[in-house]
Amino acid sequence: MTRSDSSLKPLFGWAAGLAALILLPFVINTYIILLTTEVMIMGIFALSFNLLFGYTGLLSFGHAAFFGMGGYVTAYLLSHACPSLTLAFLTGVAGASLTAIVVGYLSVKLDEIYFAILTLGFGMMFFSLAHQWRSVTGGSDGLTGLVVPRLGWGAFSVDISSPWHYYYLVVAAFLLTVWILRRITQSNFGLILVSIRENKERAAFTGINIRAYRLASFSIAGFFAGVAGGLFAVFDRMASPSMLHWTTSAQPVLMTVLGGAHTFFGPVVGSILFFFIEHIITKFTDIWMIYLGAILIPLVIFFPEGVLGTLLGLKKRKHG
Amino acid sequence: MSLFFMNLLNGLSLGMLLFLISIGLTIIFGVLGVLNFAHGSLYMLGAYFCFQSVSLFHNFWLALLISPLLVAVLGGIIEMSILRPVYGRDVSFQLLLTFGVLLVLDDAVRLIWGSGYHIVNPPALLNGVVHVAGFTYPVYSLFILGLGPLIGVGLWAFFRLTLWGKKIRAASMDREMAAGIGINVNRLFTGVFFFGTWLAGMGGALATPLRAIGPSMGEKIIIESFIVVVIGGLGSFPGAFLGAIILGLINAYGAEYLPRMTMALPYILLALILLTKPRGLLAREV
Amino acid sequence: MKGKQMFKRGMIFFTAFAMVFSLIGIAHAKKPIKIGAVYIMSGFAATYGKFAKNGLTLAVEEINKSGGILGRPLKVSFEDSRAKPPVALRAFRKFVYEDKVDVLVGLDSSGVAKSVVPALTELKTPLIITHAATPDVTGKQCNKYAFRVSANLSQNVQVAAHIAAKTGARKWTTIGPDYAFGHQSWEYFQKYLKALNPKATFMTTTAFPKIATEDYTPYITTIMNAKPDGVLISLWSGDLINFIRQAKKLGFFKAKFKVLMTLGAATEVLYALKDQMPTGIWVGTRYWFLANHSPVNKRFIKAYKKKYHVYPSYNAQNAYAAAYVLKAAYEKAGKVDKEALVKALEGLTVDVPVGKITIRAGDHQALLDVSWGKTAADPKYPIRILKPIVTFKGSEITPKVSETGCKRK
Repeated sequence: MTRSDSSLKPLFGWAAGLAALILLPFVINTYIILLTTEVMIMGIFALSFNLLFGYTGLLSFGHAAFFGMGGYVTAYLLSHACPSLTLAFLTGVAGASLTAIVVGYLSVKLDEIYFAILTLGFGMMFFSLAHQWRSVTGGSDGLTGLVVPRLGWGAFSVDISSPWHYYYLVVAAFLLTVWILRRITQSNFGLILVSIRENKERAAFTGINIRAYRLASFSIAGFFAGVAGGLFAVFDRMASPSMLHWTTSAQPVLMTVLGGAHTFFGPVVGSILFFFIEHIITKFTDIWMIYLGAILIPLVIFFPEGVLGTLLGLKKRKHG
Repeated sequence: MSLFFMNLLNGLSLGMLLFLISIGLTIIFGVLGVLNFAHGSLYMLGAYFCFQSVSLFHNFWLALLISPLLVAVLGGIIEMSILRPVYGRDVSFQLLLTFGVLLVLDDAVRLIWGSGYHIVNPPALLNGVVHVAGFTYPVYSLFILGLGPLIGVGLWAFFRLTLWGKKIRAASMDREMAAGIGINVNRLFTGVFFFGTWLAGMGGALATPLRAIGPSMGEKIIIESFIVVVIGGLGSFPGAFLGAIILGLINAYGAEYLPRMTMALPYILLALILLTKPRGLLAREV
Repeated sequence: MKGKQMFKRGMIFFTAFAMVFSLIGIAHAKKPIKIGAVYIMSGFAATYGKFAKNGLTLAVEEINKSGGILGRPLKVSFEDSRAKPPVALRAFRKFVYEDKVDVLVGLDSSGVAKSVVPALTELKTPLIITHAATPDVTGKQCNKYAFRVSANLSQNVQVAAHIAAKTGARKWTTIGPDYAFGHQSWEYFQKYLKALNPKATFMTTTAFPKIATEDYTPYITTIMNAKPDGVLISLWSGDLINFIRQAKKLGFFKAKFKVLMTLGAATEVLYALKDQMPTGIWVGTRYWFLANHSPVNKRFIKAYKKKYHVYPSYNAQNAYAAAYVLKAAYEKAGKVDKEALVKALEGLTVDVPVGKITIRAGDHQALLDVSWGKTAADPKYPIRILKPIVTFKGSEITPKVSETGCKRK
């Protein structure tokens, strides 16, 4: 490859990616469209988590709180005759962000495992609340059988209950999330987050208000987790307590560590890998845990920077 | 009043069982710096081994001797083969890795013993009941209630008074320095993990007369143990003891006074403690 | 720059992933009738999924051995719902869109059932529910594609109320799991018992321990201390086992009050407890293997015992029954077609081990006999059995379609 076309290369990469996402529905079956939609929603969830984990150095074990909050508020409005999907969704995201600001305000002064366990505690409080508050949240059953209104106005509206239409909506949300989070991580703000992760004391010494930056990062992460949660509730036509459970919080952790926390697209690759592995395993057995575990253990041991991170590192070393 | 007293007993005996399980978790964290997600599964394995031994030998005491040892051997193997390569890596890696172990163990148990439930009866000596304050109370729960502090004191003495205990404490404070003064850190770590999982297996075996043995019985206990060790102060012995008692009492009294909140109570407690004492109640001096 | 390259690599992953999937998706042979089954296969309720798998597998083997349905063999695949609604829905979507199954079977958890039943109208595929007991899926949530061949909560609790009325106990309380099932069991019980015995009263002191509680002693002591005349217990499986063992130690079953356990006769409970199960307690289930001596039931028990070495649980019977219900329905329709199956199932009567069951056209709930009994020891059996057994006719204990909230037609 010559030097002159290397400036075109990244652009080409984006275009190819976009084209692949747009053309995908023409080559695959409905189920894979649904699965890819889910992969992208979980990808948004994992990317939001990684702003906190990979960039700011905070391991949250309660990220499902915001995912679930986005889902529950959206679902609540939809099940109470909210005519506009956009309104329900945006309220859900706002609810998730507000929750994140409050939880973040209380949590970000802690570090490491203490932060992880405290966020786990907050997450499980929301789980308990959703489980017990039957009149509002539907209790253990959740809010089910949502009817999804058309998106848009009058003649300019689409029925997004079709898997294809919803797929394109999620593609748009996914690309927008990628673009915004990418801008954030490459900005000054993002660099400061990384400096906090690398050395908190030194960052504080240079006059950075660590708590404020962490809180900002936490809130943005909560916002995008809410986006993922709202999309998920519409996707499954339900909000269930399992969305708030710690096992749901563990998913972005798993995906991110699997893909690589220190590369921007690591969480997305992790999300793809995770669903791919699970899909293949459950295809031939219902005893899936032992296989998942047996694949996970060597992956973690042999890919110290996650799958994407380690591969990129290898390549760099080879060329460098 | 008598109900109040009953719940005190309930809370304390529940707390002592939690203590036995949490103490292994906290020792492993204190020395190896690993938060072992699979600790609950090793507890579960202790219970299954105990069930198996009892149905083979018809002797609870023998089962109590064998099953924690088997669990500990497995623990030692896990440490040497899986954990050793990842020391020094981020804690999230260790969590993920031990989560993988959890998945394997949970399904392995299902493959070996099926997905049904099993019970183990207490040994004849402890099978009876006593009458307290107008209620009957199982002797076995009282036995656990007494055993907890005994093991606690024993461990405390071991770490304070014996050479091995001192070596372990030295290594937990500074791994490099410990290696420098001639402690074989690798062997020490395996030993500590062996011991920590022995305690988990012991907890599982001791729990069998109280709880039905079934798949995933470890998943709930692991979260409770995390709460115990964190509110007590990670790596702290008296902390684990205190944390376990608090959680046990909260469970018992919560059921009586705040029944709608029993699910959230441990987490509210956890948040309150961490927000006021960020390193737990009895944080280890650094 | 670096990031954009990464993005490109990400996209390559994406397309590669998509291509592998599309290869997998390429047409399977269409010969057999495909059943997609979704049950809880992992976690603390995994025993339910195991039983269902046993029952369904046995039925499919029998049917295939005797020539299949309309000359076509049955092929069943299982997926683990993990008791999580989104996971169950994903499995349903996979079965319908990728595996192109002809019919869905399954569901243990009521919460899962309530979440996925509305999706059936999009999936346009019939589902035979064999366990989940929430009245809603054949009530206010009912739809064209949702059928249930097992006893639901309201049928089972109706029997509990009849028995409660006969005991003469007046002041009742409950111990049940703290989720919809436990609360609904108590609400229905109050409604039904009040109708049968207007003198019955219901205490405000109740106990709803959360699912997978291990220490029930605080709840047991609270209820014993409240001195009721009767206690309805709707705990199930592992929770019920823990409860019974701890309650027995505390003298709960020797106290003066009557005890009714809505799922006390489930075989996983009886097998785990064996002679530890107290005798003389009223217990219910959704199929009791000794409740009738029909040839179909006898053959089922014999075949099941031979293959799995235990007596069949209710969940095994329910899944087994589902396969024979499908056989009857396809044979009635004369073809394998989703819409024709729906039509054939409505009003169909089939002879299955639990007895003759009829699927009501109005709400798609099966009318079936429900048996309760008192626990008793019998040296011929390794577990506690029921003696005496009382059986209530499906028509007596099932609310009218107009009362279920189902407004399908």
